Amino acid sequence: MRDVLFWLSGAALAFFITAGAFLLLANLATVPFEKSLTPDPGSGESGAAVELALDTERLAALRPLPDQSLDLKVKNAGATRLLDVNVVLTTFSENTAIPDTRFYRRTVEKVAAGGAADVHFEFDLSDPEQSAARLPASEPARKILEIRATTPEGISTVRTVILPP
Amino acid sequence: MPSSARPAKLFAVLMFAVMTTAPAGCFHPDEEGSIAPLAPAAGRIDPGLGPGTRALSSGPGYKGSPSWSPGGVRIAFTVDGYVVDKPTESGRLRRWTTRDFVARDTEWTSDDTLTMLGAAPASPSRGETGSSLYRAHTGGDSLKLEKIARGVLAMSPDPDGEGLCFAFDRGAYESGLALTRGSAEVFRIYSKPIEGRIASLSLSPDGDKVVMAVRPEGDAETSELRTFDLVTREEREVTQLDGKREILGTPQWTEQGLFFVAGKQSTSVDDDSSEPLYNLYRVPAKGGAPEPAPGVGEDFVAASISVSPDGSRLAVIGRLNPKSPTNLYVLGPATKSLEAVTTNEDMEIKTGPDDLMWSPDGKGVAIVARGTPSTEPEVRANPVDRLLRDFYNLYEIPVSGDTQR
Repeated sequence: MRDVLFWLSGAALAFFITAGAFLLLANLATVPFEKSLTPDPGSGESGAAVELALDTERLAALRPLPDQSLDLKVKNAGATRLLDVNVVLTTFSENTAIPDTRFYRRTVEKVAAGGAADVHFEFDLSDPEQSAARLPASEPARKILEIRATTPEGISTVRTVILPP
Repeated sequence: MPSSARPAKLFAVLMFAVMTTAPAGCFHPDEEGSIAPLAPAAGRIDPGLGPGTRALSSGPGYKGSPSWSPGGVRIAFTVDGYVVDKPTESGRLRRWTTRDFVARDTEWTSDDTLTMLGAAPASPSRGETGSSLYRAHTGGDSLKLEKIARGVLAMSPDPDGEGLCFAFDRGAYESGLALTRGSAEVFRIYSKPIEGRIASLSLSPDGDKVVMAVRPEGDAETSELRTFDLVTREEREVTQLDGKREILGTPQWTEQGLFFVAGKQSTSVDDDSSEPLYNLYRVPAKGGAPEPAPGVGEDFVAASISVSPDGSRLAVIGRLNPKSPTNLYVLGPATKSLEAVTTNEDMEIKTGPDDLMWSPDGKGVAIVARGTPSTEPEVRANPVDRLLRDFYNLYEIPVSGDTQR
């Protein structure tokens, strides 16, 4: 009888020790997977700490000419101060066969939590010289502005502006 | 049992437990239920063109001439004159021509060969005019084009997707016909000339006959409908329009005869706009007077048409009356029924003759559409390459078989 009890208790002890060890290993092994599932903040339309505010009246005043300017606000919608926010303005034509993409960059050094910073761009919206050479469309191509603000942590917000011809 | 045997037995029990429970730990239940893939950007959406509509492209660019690969897994189209293709499900664009190439039309002639009608950059020294036919293959340098023929007027894919028929200029108001298959060279040129200038052509569902819209010598309009039998080489004048009416786009060969869009082009703003400019007509393939297509209604304004792969249905882009919005309809020539596939009010559907095409399985039609452009600046919260409605983009519209037979 003692032998039977000894064998049963030994087997139960061994089972629980082994099961516990595997549970511990399984929990350790899942940590990196959870980490890798963190959503990519790069595209960040929602939940981003940085926001862009554009003045529609200033947008309506833009013309396909040189010496255009645009003022916008970079807002910190988060709870911590933002440092070194890169704001890139890209201008190009709706006609993708026209190679007239232009880039302009500004850096905002500091934006307090809940605060905003002004950014001023001066840029060229004129058509390139050869653009009239080949347009399959029967209507003039529109100008497009893409404005992207990116924090050093990679959180970004984008606004695309389509200007009427 | 001797007491000295107990440690050995205890060790054996422990080993047994380890050996039996260890394999169980290898099967992690959660690993089987893998992470759900992200929905593709070009998934099922409703951009105002009805439920089940699928976007096949996105971003800016003046797009047109959609062409499904024979297997239906890729779609090629023109963007601002150059040619691209992409998987129909999701995936990146693949460019086939340089930005300075101006393509009028593009068609697959096998699952890895694309044939394009267009013009390379003007080269005055060569003295070439008009469009040429080019071919490119996957696998190699996709930007390397091989010229097949010059002076090409129009082309039409073979219904089996493995070749095409094209018309070329023979001078002195004569046209010629030729066939090419797959990745081979032109293998058949028909010596018999076609009188007049072929403006457009398409093949019958069995691929044996061609219907052509022809501009006769001395006529300002494309007013003649002709057929050509590629087997017997018999040519036939089907009908000739009078009263300065012209054939618009490409005539189509269905099981119930030939269909084409025709009308009088408005020359003055003072013309009575209450009368539809272009109507859809049907004429027997053996010839005769064209009649308004049965089933569409007398006020219907037709713009472009495309026959289904089996020849039993006709996709029509048009308007129910001159004041209604442009939509996609499917006409069953046998049942004489017209089904409104889209009922959109705020999308502009392109009405070019090459801007609609059936999928190879006949379950959908690719069209090109965009939202009505605003006269004010539009601000969007997405990168430009994800925008759909703001630019002409390709959509697959699901089509039921209700109008069939």
